[in-house]
Amino acid sequence: MRALLVEDDPDLADDVARALGAAGFVVDRCSDGEEAWFQGDVEDYAVAVLDLGLPRLDGLSVLRRWRSASRTMPVLILTARGDWTEKVEGIDAGADDYMAKPFATGELIARVRALVRRASGHASALLTIGDLAIDTARMSAAISGRQVQLSQLEFRLLNFLAHQQDRIVAAGEIAEHLYGASDGSDTNAVEAIVTRLRRKLGSHAIETRRGLGYLLTGRTE
Amino acid sequence: MKGNSLRLRLLAGAAIAIFLALTLAWAGISWLFHQHVERREAAELTKLAEQVVAGLTLNSAGKPVVDPPPSDPRFQPIAGGSYWQASSAAGSVQSQSLWDQSLPLVAAGTDDWSHATVRGPYGKHLTMVSRRVRPDARRIDVAVRVGSDDSEMRSALREFDRVLALSLALLWLVLSIAAYIQVSLGLRPLDRLRRDLDRLRRSPSARLPAHHPHEVQPVIEAINAMASAREADLARARRRAADLAHSLKTPLAVVAAQSRRAREAGADGAAESIDRAVEAVGAALEAELARSRAAAARGSGGESAPLAITEGLVAVVERTERGETIAFSVDITPDLRAPVDATDLAEMLGALIENAARHARRQVRVSGFRDGERLVLRVEDDGPGMDEGAIEGATQRGVRIDETGSGHGLGLAIVRDLAEATEGDFRLERAPLGGLAAELRWTLA
Repeated sequence: MRALLVEDDPDLADDVARALGAAGFVVDRCSDGEEAWFQGDVEDYAVAVLDLGLPRLDGLSVLRRWRSASRTMPVLILTARGDWTEKVEGIDAGADDYMAKPFATGELIARVRALVRRASGHASALLTIGDLAIDTARMSAAISGRQVQLSQLEFRLLNFLAHQQDRIVAAGEIAEHLYGASDGSDTNAVEAIVTRLRRKLGSHAIETRRGLGYLLTGRTE
Repeated sequence: MKGNSLRLRLLAGAAIAIFLALTLAWAGISWLFHQHVERREAAELTKLAEQVVAGLTLNSAGKPVVDPPPSDPRFQPIAGGSYWQASSAAGSVQSQSLWDQSLPLVAAGTDDWSHATVRGPYGKHLTMVSRRVRPDARRIDVAVRVGSDDSEMRSALREFDRVLALSLALLWLVLSIAAYIQVSLGLRPLDRLRRDLDRLRRSPSARLPAHHPHEVQPVIEAINAMASAREADLARARRRAADLAHSLKTPLAVVAAQSRRAREAGADGAAESIDRAVEAVGAALEAELARSRAAAARGSGGESAPLAITEGLVAVVERTERGETIAFSVDITPDLRAPVDATDLAEMLGALIENAARHARRQVRVSGFRDGERLVLRVEDDGPGMDEGAIEGATQRGVRIDETGSGHGLGLAIVRDLAEATEGDFRLERAPLGGLAAELRWTLA
């Protein structure tokens, strides 16, 4: 598997490259933004580790250019500033995870592995319910063709409902699926997730049947 | 007040100046009044003396004769206080009151009456008018003198002087009090200046207001210029500290990487001490950055949209290992505006949401609404919550970020400092969900 490492500090780059190599990746290294943009644009990588503070072209711009050119490989960003605004900007620009410097290399490798697993672990399977399309491999969904970003928990709930084939599912049953052993209060959490999903997919995509539970319709109206 | 006091100096100056002026006034008024009274007395005596002259003739021997004598009854009683006498070389004639005494001779002119205070008979002081006249063609000089005891007038004048001195002393007291009030009023702007300076000392971004009297305006301007210079210095120092902290992070990451290599090489002890050192330095850097952020937030103003910021933050926290198992609900009024810079609000809410996600069991709820004149933002979780002591420790003012240690307390201390810097209110309490509720409040203008 190929990994792209973009980091301008040679010592840090050496170390991360060595650790990625030890984890089984073939590592390409870049030390400036323009080179990174070109490299990521023309080569296929299983994952990219991208420092945000880069010479010539900053990391966020590199990431935005990759994403607008439909480069979908998972990207983990490294930030020195480490403030929330930068993290939000990074995720908005299309990053899949972030780490603030200084970080433990071991944790970086674990996160990179998780990103790769998430992106390529399963064979691609597409479920369609009404106007809703669920990509179980990339853990994403689209409603009427519009791509929607989902959190892990939101995806798991949606995926669970999608597999129930027009069955009304009680909140308690969903909680049990999400959390394993659960108690009554977990249905509140389920309600909160459903509320967020409705905000992203439209209010009719999941219907509430009073006293019975939830039904995934996938309708936009 | 200390020895070198403006107030004391002004007061003493005023009191002494007023005292000198009033003493001078007393002397002048007294002198003028004495003159006036003596002239009046002299005019009175001149009238009597003219009665003497009206009846004055010389007998054959050249001795003066006054016939008729002045009718004024004051000339009758012996030693009565009013006397006349006319004398020539050949003898003299005098009032009955003079009895066997005589009035002293003074050098007197022939053309007008002159007056003087003289020592008269019976040991009394007299005011006396005198003139030399020549009643007939023999060219014999007759000295005519009319005197009166002025001790009553003198004592009246002394009384006048005393009363005048007393009333002027009273006037001095009143004027001194007026001077005190004037000085106090005049120095009051300095008191205000001192209070304003006190505020300036506490907040580097404060400036002295322009409503001071224009006499102190140059001082105000100089102080404000100095405050600007100080603020700029402070900002530069903070920027340098922040830059330093940032620039140390990458080398620190390099050092952290060395611990892994050391561990691989079997040097577990060395690796562990590197890890500890990196963690300590990292925490110190974070604390320094948080402090410079709070300092920059002070008085910086700004406005932000809590809903958009919260959605962005939740999207970030959802990607963390802990966050992806938590159900987040965001319930914030869409057009709500917070009177805080977006970066600062993101720091506060980010720390609170991350903290809530770390301790939550299933759920984190972020809500925001307007409560009258206040904006309220709440982050709640359904975790185990914090006990009273821990809540107090986390929200207590004056506990510095770096004293709370890393991890849990650091985030809350950053929130507390930023809330304080943006004139907000930060509190922790038990949430209806069961865990901790963190609340931020700002008063909306």
